[in-house]
Amino acid sequence: MTALRRDYSVFDAELAGRSFDARVVGRLFRWLAPHWRTALTSGILVLIASVLAILMPVVVTRVVIDGLLLADQPVLLPDFGMNALARLLASGTGLSVLAAACLLYMLLTTAWAVSAHFHRVYLARSVLGALKDLRHDLFAHLETRPAAFYDHVAVGRVMTRVTNDVEVLFQLLSGFGVLIGEFVPFFVALAIMLALDVQLTGVLMLAIPIVAVATYLFRRATRTVYRAIRQSISALNQNLQENLAGVQVVQLNLREARNLARYTEINRENRREENRAVELETFYGAFVDSLASAATGVILWLGGGAVLQESISLGSMVLFTQFVDMLFRPIVAVGEQYNVLFRAMASAERIFQALDWDERVHEPAAPAPLPERLAGAVEARNLCFSYPGGPLVLNRVSFRIEPGEKLAIVGATGSGKSTIVRLLARFYNFASGQLYLDGIDVTAIPTAELRRRIGIVLQDFHVFSGSVADNISLGNPGISREKVERSAELVHADAFIAQLPGGYDEPLLERGQNLSQGQRQLLAFARVLAADPEILVLDEATASIDTETELIIQDALKVLTAGRTSIIIAHRLQTIQECDRVLVLGHGEVKETGSHDELLAKGGIYRTLYELQFQDV
Amino acid sequence: MATPLRRLLPYHQRYRTPFWAGMGGLLVARLFEAAIPLFLRDGIDLIVAGGTSIDAGASTLESAHAALVWPAIAIVLCVMARFACIVFARRAIRRIGIAVAYDLRKRVYGHLQRQGPAFFARHPTGDLMARAINDINLVRQLVGMGLRTILVIVFSAVVGFSAMMWLAPQLTVMLLLPLPIIAALGWVLSRRVFGQSLAVQEGFATLSEQVQENLNGIRTVQALVQENYEIARFDRVNESYAERFFRLTRTNSIIQGVMPWLGAVATVIILGFGGSLVLSGEMSVGTFTAFFTYVSMVLWPVRQAGQMVTLWQQGASGCERLFEVLDHAPEIEDTPSSTAPPTIVGQISFEGLRYRYPGTRAEVLKGIDLEIGAGETIAVLGRVGVGKTTLLKCMVRLLDPPPGSIRFDGVDVRCFPLAQLRHQVVLVPQDPFLFADVLRHNLSYDDPERDDALIWSAAEDADLRDTILAFADALETHVGERGVTLSGGQKQRSALTRGLIRGAPVLILDDCFSSVDTQTEERILKRLRAVRRGMTTLLVSHRVSTARHADRIIVLADGRVAETGTHEQLLAMDGWYAELDRIQRRKSRLLDALAKESA
Repeated sequence: MTALRRDYSVFDAELAGRSFDARVVGRLFRWLAPHWRTALTSGILVLIASVLAILMPVVVTRVVIDGLLLADQPVLLPDFGMNALARLLASGTGLSVLAAACLLYMLLTTAWAVSAHFHRVYLARSVLGALKDLRHDLFAHLETRPAAFYDHVAVGRVMTRVTNDVEVLFQLLSGFGVLIGEFVPFFVALAIMLALDVQLTGVLMLAIPIVAVATYLFRRATRTVYRAIRQSISALNQNLQENLAGVQVVQLNLREARNLARYTEINRENRREENRAVELETFYGAFVDSLASAATGVILWLGGGAVLQESISLGSMVLFTQFVDMLFRPIVAVGEQYNVLFRAMASAERIFQALDWDERVHEPAAPAPLPERLAGAVEARNLCFSYPGGPLVLNRVSFRIEPGEKLAIVGATGSGKSTIVRLLARFYNFASGQLYLDGIDVTAIPTAELRRRIGIVLQDFHVFSGSVADNISLGNPGISREKVERSAELVHADAFIAQLPGGYDEPLLERGQNLSQGQRQLLAFARVLAADPEILVLDEATASIDTETELIIQDALKVLTAGRTSIIIAHRLQTIQECDRVLVLGHGEVKETGSHDELLAKGGIYRTLYELQFQDV
Repeated sequence: MATPLRRLLPYHQRYRTPFWAGMGGLLVARLFEAAIPLFLRDGIDLIVAGGTSIDAGASTLESAHAALVWPAIAIVLCVMARFACIVFARRAIRRIGIAVAYDLRKRVYGHLQRQGPAFFARHPTGDLMARAINDINLVRQLVGMGLRTILVIVFSAVVGFSAMMWLAPQLTVMLLLPLPIIAALGWVLSRRVFGQSLAVQEGFATLSEQVQENLNGIRTVQALVQENYEIARFDRVNESYAERFFRLTRTNSIIQGVMPWLGAVATVIILGFGGSLVLSGEMSVGTFTAFFTYVSMVLWPVRQAGQMVTLWQQGASGCERLFEVLDHAPEIEDTPSSTAPPTIVGQISFEGLRYRYPGTRAEVLKGIDLEIGAGETIAVLGRVGVGKTTLLKCMVRLLDPPPGSIRFDGVDVRCFPLAQLRHQVVLVPQDPFLFADVLRHNLSYDDPERDDALIWSAAEDADLRDTILAFADALETHVGERGVTLSGGQKQRSALTRGLIRGAPVLILDDCFSSVDTQTEERILKRLRAVRRGMTTLLVSHRVSTARHADRIIVLADGRVAETGTHEQLLAMDGWYAELDRIQRRKSRLLDALAKESA
C-alpha cells in the first residue's frame, strides 16, 4: 500500500470511478455524521411535506367536487377526514363549507410550503456543513504534505480536488435529498390510488416500466454523446491554445488555411455531437412532459367508466389526474442523478486518495528540550542525500559554523547548494549523516519548532495575498505593527512601501505582481527580521537587479545578518566578500573552505568560479 | 436591445427560416396544450350528464361510457401533436444556438491567426481562450434558450387566458387581478437569485485562488511555519463560500415554496368563486376542473424568468467581449502591388531601417544600412536587446518596417503578397516551438503531404536523422505538448529542419544553435554551406564559433551596423567582435578547467 502511495504517477492519473462503490459513499457519510440532527430534521420534514402535498388535491377533489359541487357520495371512499375537517372548520368559524374548504386548502398549502422549505434548508445546511468540513480536512492535509510530494504532483490536479471534486459531491449528496423528496410522495400517492381504484392504478402503472426503459436508454445514449462532446470541446480548446501559443510559427509556415480547416473539422464534429445531444434531450424531455397529459385520456376513459358505474366518485377520478405525475417523477429524477453518480464516484475517489496520502517528514517521538534562544552553532556531519530515484546530490558533506558566523556556499549549477537549504529546512528526510543545532540533533526537534528557529528566505520568495503589513507579520500576534514598520525600515523597505498608495495596508496582488524583484527581496528580509530567528538561511536571488537596488539590498543584508548565524547561497561577489568563510561545493562534495582572500590566493576551483562569474564582460 | 447584441443579428439572420418555423411550432404546441383541458371538461361534463341520465333511466351505462371515447382519444391525439410540435420546435431553435456558436468559433479562429504581436501583447492567451470558450458559450445559450423562454412565457399567457376567457369570462376576470401580481413577484424573486448566484461564483473563484496560491507557495508556507495560519485563513473563505451557497439555496427554496403558494391563491379563487358558479349552475364541473390546468399553464413558465434575465445579461456581455476581439483589424496589411516579381532571387538591401515598438519611446533600430548579395551567408551578432530579432522579424513582416526600408531584389518588402514573401523568405524563430503532433508533421509543417525523402534529407542536413532513427516510432514519434519529450537541442534541430526543408531562396536563422553542442553545430554549419550554396542565408548567433563560418559578419550596436567584414577582418579591427572572441575562448578554457578540478 505504502509503495503504491509513493507512486506519484498514480496520483496524477485520471481515476476511472466507473462503478458505484458503497464503501466510498459510506466513507462520505462520515462527514455527514456530525450533522445528523439537521439531516434527520430535514428527513422528517420531507415526510410531512409529502403528506401535505397529497392532501392538497384531496381537498379540491373529494371535498369541493364530490362533497359540495356534486353533493352526492355514491360510495364511501377515503378522504382522510378532509370532509369532516372542512365541516368542523365551517361550524367553528361560521363560514360556508365552500369557504371553509378554501381556508383549509390555504392552510394546507401554507403548511406544505413551510415544511418543504425547511426540509430544503436543513438539507442544504447539513450537506454544506459536511462538505465544508471535508474541504477543511483536505486543505489542512494538503497543506502539511512534505515538499517531496509537491516536487512530483501537478499543483493544478491537487487543487481541483479541493475545489471541483468537492463541488461534485455536493451535487451527489443534495441529489440524495431530491430523491427522497420524490420517492416519498410516490409511495403515498400510490397507496391512495390503489385504495381508490386498483384496476385504474394497475393500468397507469404499466407506464412505469416504459418510462424506466426510456430513461435508461436516454441516459445510456447521452452518456456516450456527452463524453464525445467533452472530448471534442477539449480538442477544440487544445487546438486553439496551441495555435495561439505557436501563432508565429503558423504564420511563418503559411499554415493559416490548413489549421483553420483542421479546427473546422473538430468544430463540425462538435456541432454534430451537440446536435445529437439536442435530439435526444428534446425527445426525452417532451416525452416525459407528455406522459401525465396522455394519462389524462386513459383516466378519462377508464376512470369515467368507473364513475358511471358508481364504483368511484368523479372527484376521485380528477384526483387521479393530479396524482399520476407523481408516479413517473421518481424515475426521471433517478435518471438525472445517474450521470452525477458516476462523476461523484470518481471525485470521491480522488479526494480520498489525497486524504490517504500519508507521506510526511518524520517528527521525533521524543522531542529534545530546546533553550529559550539557541546560540546558533550549526554542524553537518557526513550528510548524504539523493532525491527519490535520483543520483547522489550530497556526498558526505561536513561543515561547522560557530554562533554568529556568516558562511557563504558557492558552487556551479547542480553542485547541491539549494539541497543543503532544503535539508536545513527539513523539507526532506536525509538518508545518512547528522545535522546539529547547538549540538542537538535536528531529527530530535519537531519540524515546526525547527523552522521557527531557522529563518529561511527562498529564491522563489512567495508573496501572500493580503496587505504589506500582513506579509511581514504573517499573522504572528507577537509581531506588533511597530515592529513591522521598524523591521521594514531597518532593511530599507520603508521607502518603497511609503510610495504605495495604501502604504503598509496596500493589498499585494497574487504572487506580488505589483512589486519588483528587488522590492520582493526587501520584503522577504523585513519578514525574517520581524520574526527574528536565531539562524538565517538565505538562497540569494540570481535575477539581475539594477545597481542602486543592489546596493540597498547589500546594506539590508548586513542588518539582517548582524550577530546572527547565517548561511547564504551566494551569487553576488559582494555578498561573498561580506561573509566570514566560503564553502565551495562541487558535485555534492565540499571541495574547498576558507575566506574569500585565502581561496582566491590558493587558485583552486573557487578562483576558476570567481573568474567565470565575476570577471566577464 | 443592447447594442452588442445587435452585432449578433447577421449571425442569427442566417437561420431565420428555422427560427420562425421553430417559433411557429412553439405557438402551435401551446394551442394543442390549451385544447387538452377543453376535452377534459367535455369528458367530465359528459360523465356528470351521463350519471344523471342513467339515474333517470334515459340512457344505459354502455352508451354513456361510449360517449367518453371521443374526448379521451382527442386528449391523446392533442398530447401527441403537442409532443411532435415541441420536439420539432425545440430542436430547430437549439440547433440555431449550436450553429451560431460554430460560425463564431470559426470566425474567431480565422481572425486570431491573422493577428500580430501588438494584438497578442494586449490579449494574452488565457484571455483569448476565455473569450473563445466561455463567451461563445454564453452567446449560444442566449440564442438557443433566451428568445425561446420569452416567447413561451408570452404564448402561454396569451393562449391560456384566451381559453379561460372563452370558457368562463367572470372567473377569468377574477383571476386576472392576482395573476399579474403573482407573475411579477416570481420575476422579482428570480432576479434575486441571479445576484446571489454571482456571489456564489465569486466565492468559488476566491476559494480556488486561495488554494492555488497556497499550493504554489507551499515551500514558503512550510518554511515559515504558516500552515495553521493559512488553514485558518482558508477556513474563513471556506466558511463564507458555504454561507453564500446556503443563502442561494435558501432563496431558491423560498421561490420553490412561494410560487406554488401564490398559485394556491389562484386555486382558492377557482375553488371559492368558481365553486359558487358551479353551485348556481352558471358553470359546469368540467370547466371548473379545466381552470386548474390553465392556471398552472400560465404560471409554470414564469419560474424561468430569472434564468432568462441572466441569459440575456450574460449573453450581452459575452457578445461585447467577443466583438471587441473581432473588431481588431490585423496589424499587417496584405496589399500586394502588381509590380512584385513572382519569385525572389535573394538580393537584399536595407536602407535606413528604423523601428520603434508601438507604445514605447525609444527606437530599437536606428537606421540600418546594409547590402546583401544573392547567395551570401551573413552572420549577425550583437548584445542582448540590440534589435537582431526585430530586424529579422521586419524582413518577413511579422513586424511592419517603414516603406522602402527593406527591399528584396530591389522591390519593397511591402509590395509582395504576404503569402509569397513568407513562402520565399523563411525565418526560423528563436523559440523552437513544436506542436503536440508526430515528428513528421512538425518537420514538414508547411506541407503535410511532402515526400518522405525530402524530410529525411532535410533532417540529415540539420543533424537530426540519427536522432529520429533512434526513436522507436521514427517520424511517427509523438513529441508531446510543445515538444516536451525532446531535449532542447533536439527541439532546435527539429525547428531547423522545418526551415531547411522549404529550400527557400532566403533563409533566416534566429539563434538556432544555442542548445546544440559546439561539435554538432560545427557539423550542421558545414552541411549548411553546401546545401545553401547559391542561396541567401542569414544567421543570428551569440557565438563567434558560429559566425566564423559566414561569408560576412555584421555586428549590431545601438540600433546600427557597427562592424562588418569577414572573421579575419573583424579580428584585425580589434573591436567588439574581437573582444567577444577573447572572452569566449577564455570562458571555454575555464569551463574545461572547472570540469577537471571538480571531477
